[in-house]
Amino acid sequence: MNIHTYEKLWLIAAMVLIVGFIATITYGSVALGITMVGDQEDTIEPRELSEDDRFGEPRVEQVGENEYEAYVVARTFMFQPDPIEIPENSEVTFYVTARDVIHSFSVAGTNINTMAIPGEIATMTAEFDEPGEYGIVCNEYCGSGHHNMEGELHVLPEDEFDLTELSVEADDEVALEDDDEVTLEIAVENGQLEDLETTIEAEIGDETFTEDVTVEGDSTYETTVSVDAADLGEGDHDWSVTVDDYEESGTVTVVDQLEDDGGDDDE
Amino acid sequence: MSESRNAYIDAFPAEAKVVRAAFYSSFLALALGGVFGIIQTLHRTDVFRFIDSTDYYTVLTAHGVFLVISFTIFFLVGIFTWAITTSLDRSVKDIRFTWGWYSLMAIGITLTGVAILAGFTDSIDMSADVLFTFYAPLQGHPLFYIGLVLFIVGTWLAGADWFRTWWAWKQENPDERIPLPTFMVLTTMLMWYIATLGVAASVLLFLLPWSLGLIETVNPLLTRTLFWFFGHPIVYFWLMPAYMMWYIMLPKVSGGKLFSDPLARVVFVLFLILSVPTGIHHQYLDPGIAEGFKFIAMTNTMFLLLPSLLTAFTVVASMEHGARQRGGEGYFGWLKALPWRDPVFTGMALAGLMFAAAGFSGMINAGMNINYLVHNTFWVVGHFHLTVGTAVALTFMAVTYWFLPQVTGKALWNRSVALGQVVLWFLGMTFMSNAMHRGGLLGIPRRTAEPQYDGFEFEASVGSVAELDAQIALGGILLTLSLVLFFANVIGTALNGRSDTLPDNSYAETLSGPEDAPKVLDNLKLWTIIAIILVIFAYTFPLLSIIDRGGLFGPDINPFPVSIETIPMLAMALEGYTTAAVASAGEFAQATLLGVIR
Ligand code: HEM
Ligand SMILES: [Cu+2]
Ligand SMILES: [Cu+2]
Repeated sequence: MNIHTYEKLWLIAAMVLIVGFIATITYGSVALGITMVGDQEDTIEPRELSEDDRFGEPRVEQVGENEYEAYVVARTFMFQPDPIEIPENSEVTFYVTARDVIHSFSVAGTNINTMAIPGEIATMTAEFDEPGEYGIVCNEYCGSGHHNMEGELHVLPEDEFDLTELSVEADDEVALEDDDEVTLEIAVENGQLEDLETTIEAEIGDETFTEDVTVEGDSTYETTVSVDAADLGEGDHDWSVTVDDYEESGTVTVVDQLEDDGGDDDE
Repeated sequence: MSESRNAYIDAFPAEAKVVRAAFYSSFLALALGGVFGIIQTLHRTDVFRFIDSTDYYTVLTAHGVFLVISFTIFFLVGIFTWAITTSLDRSVKDIRFTWGWYSLMAIGITLTGVAILAGFTDSIDMSADVLFTFYAPLQGHPLFYIGLVLFIVGTWLAGADWFRTWWAWKQENPDERIPLPTFMVLTTMLMWYIATLGVAASVLLFLLPWSLGLIETVNPLLTRTLFWFFGHPIVYFWLMPAYMMWYIMLPKVSGGKLFSDPLARVVFVLFLILSVPTGIHHQYLDPGIAEGFKFIAMTNTMFLLLPSLLTAFTVVASMEHGARQRGGEGYFGWLKALPWRDPVFTGMALAGLMFAAAGFSGMINAGMNINYLVHNTFWVVGHFHLTVGTAVALTFMAVTYWFLPQVTGKALWNRSVALGQVVLWFLGMTFMSNAMHRGGLLGIPRRTAEPQYDGFEFEASVGSVAELDAQIALGGILLTLSLVLFFANVIGTALNGRSDTLPDNSYAETLSGPEDAPKVLDNLKLWTIIAIILVIFAYTFPLLSIIDRGGLFGPDINPFPVSIETIPMLAMALEGYTTAAVASAGEFAQATLLGVIR
C-alpha cells in the first residue's frame, strides 16, 4: 500500500496520542487509585431492602477512626437518608442501591457519581477535608418526578458531628387506681467509635432528673426514670428528655382508671 | 427527458423515488424533532414554560427517537441506496423489495411515534415516556417496542437489498475492486448487523414479552447492557454516512480529488471491527460490571479514535488539494481558495470543524476515571449535539442541497438561503453546546425538566447559571431558525419546476486509487470474522457475569409505570399491523407515498 509520508507521520502521531491517553487513564487507576464502580458487592433483592442490615435503615455508620460508611437508598423520587451528614476530615464509603427503577447518585460538582440499579449495590470512597454542603441529584431519568429527586450532603465541622441517637419510650396513659408509675425508658445510642460523655436531662411534670453518663463507642446506654402517678395527680403532664442537642418530648395523662386494659403499653 | 442532463433521477428514475421518499421521511422527523427540541430548551432553561414538567419527558423521548432513529437512519438509507446504484452503475435487483423495506421502516417508526405521542393525552391509555434508551424497569407501551422492531428489520432488509445488488454486480465484474462507496455501505451494514443483535435480543427476548405481560420481570442491568451493545455502534451508523460524504463528496465540491482510496477503506474496516466491543464505555459507572471489563472497553474506545484521526487527515488533505487546483497558495493561504459560497461545501466543512471539537469532549467521556466528572451531566448533551447534532445533521443538511436536485430533477430553490442556513446552524450550536458543556462541569444533570433545585444551587466559577441558560436558549432559537430556512429550501425546491441544467450525478475521483489498496482490504468475510471475535471477547464474560449475578430475568420488581394494556387487544393490533406490513407493503408504498410525494 502506498502511503504518503505526511500520512505516515500523522498515523504515528495518532498512535502516540492514543497510547498516551490509555497510559494516562491507567496511571489514574493504578497510581492515583481512582477505582471504578465495579462488581465488588453481591446483588440484593430490591423488594427486601427493608429487612436488610444495611439498607433497612439507610444511615451513616462509623467504621474506623476517620472512616465512615453511608448506606443510601435511591427511590422514586428521593434519597434516603436525607441529608447525609458526615464529619470533615473523613473518608466515606458510599453504598448505593435503588429500590424501584434505575437512578443515579451524583454529588453536584464532585467526582462522586454512580448509577443506582435495582438489585446492584454501587460503592465509592471519597475523602472530605473541609466542611461544606453539597447538592445530590439523580441524573438518570427515573420517571415523571425525576426533576424533584434531590438530596443534600452535609460535611460538618468535627465538633458539630455526632452519631448520637436518643429514643424514649413512655406511656400515654397511666391509671391512679393501679398505683402506677410514669416511666420514661431512655436509650442513648452512640454510633461513633469513641466514648460519648454526656448528660441526660429528663423532666416529668415538675420533677427533674440529671444523669452524667459515658456511652461507650458503638453501643447504647439505657436508663429509666419514673415518678409515681399519684405525685403528679390526675391530668396531662408534659415530659421531655434532652441529650446534647437532641430532645424528645411528649405528654402523659394520669387517669383514675383505664378504660381498656390492653392499651397499657402504647408508645 | 432531456439528453443533455445526467442527474441521478435520469439514470435511476425508480430508485430516485425511493431515495426521495426516504429523504422526505427523514425531514419530517427532523421537523418534529426540531419542534420538540426548542420546547425542551426553553423549558429546562426556564425561559418559557408552557407544558407540564411531567410532559417534558414525553417531549424528550420524541426528540431523541425522531432525531436519532428516524431522521438519521432514513437519510442514511437514502444515500446508501444512491451510493450503491451510482457506484455499481446498476439498478437494485427488485424495486418492489426496496419499497418493501422502506414501507416497513415507515410503518415501524409510525407505530413507535404513536406510542410516544399518545403520552401527551390522558384520553388514550398509552404512553412510552422511556426516552430513546428505554431502560427497564421503566416500561413503554408494547407498540413502542413493536414499532422499533419493525423499523430495525426494515434496515436489515435494506442491507440485504444492497448486498444483493452488489452480488449481482460481482457476478458480472469478478475481477474488479469493490467501488469505494459500495465498500463503505457494505462495511457499515456488516457493523450494523452485528450491533443490532444486542437490541434485538433485548427487545425480543425481554422487553417486548415483558411489556405484554408474558414475563414478569427483567434484569435491568442485562437489558441495559444489551442496549449499549447496540447503543454505541449506532453512533457510527449515524456517522458513517457523514464520513462517506466527507470522503466522496467533499473533495469533489472542494474542486479536487480524494487523497487516498486505500486509507478510506482502512478507516471503514476499523469501524467495522472496533465499533461494537466498546459499548460498555457508556456503563463506566454501572455497578455490577467489573472494572476489568470497563478497562477493555476503554482501550478499544481509544483505538477507535484512530479511524477518526485518519479521516481528519484525509479530509483536510483532500480539501487542500482541491484548493490548490483552484489556484490556492501558501501554508494557510489555500484556505481562501475554497468555495466558501457553496452551502454544500461550507456546511460540510463547518460540520467537520465541530466534529474536531467534539473529539475533545469525547476523549474526556471516554477517559474511564475522568468520566465520573461528566457522566450523565449536561456536558454529554453538549457533546452529542456536536457529533450527531452537527457533524452528522449539518453534513446531511448540506449534502441535501446537492442531493435534492438529483432526486427531484428540480433546481435548488435558493442557494443564499442555504448558505445562511448552514452558518446559522454552526453559530447556534456553538452557543448551545458550549454552554451545555460548561453546565455539565458544574454538575447540572441531563434529561431533567427543571434542573433548579430547592435545597442547593449549582455554583459557576465563571459567569452564572443564568448566563449559561441564556446562551442555551439563544443557541436553540438560532438552530430553530436554521431549521426553518432548511425547510423553506426543501419545500421551495419541491415546488420548483423541472430544471434542465443540473450537475451530473457523480462523486469524487481519487489521487491514490483502489489499485494501491491491498486486496485483503476487500475481504469482507475476514473483517466480519475478526469483528465477531472481538465482540465475543469483549462481551461474553460481562454478559455471563451479569446473568450469573442477577439472573436472566433479574430481581423481583414491578414495571414502572405498570402497563394497563390487556394482551388480547395487543395480539389483535399486532396481527393487524403484520398483515398490513406484509400483504400490502407494495401497494401501500406505491399508492400513498408516491401520491403524497408527487
Ligand atoms: C433545533 C435544534 C435542537 C435543539 C434546540 C436541541 C435541544 C436539545 C436539548 C436542550 C436537549 C437536552 C434535554 C435534556 O437532557 O433535558 C436535547 C437532547 C437531545 N438531542 Fe437535541 N436539539 C436539537 C437538535 C438535535 C439534533 C439535530 C439531534 C440529532 C440528530 C439531537 C439529538 C438529541 C438527543 C439524542 C438528545 C438526548 C435525548 C435523551 O437524553 O434521551 N438534537 N436536545
Ligand atoms: Cu431520576
Ligand atoms: Cu458510545
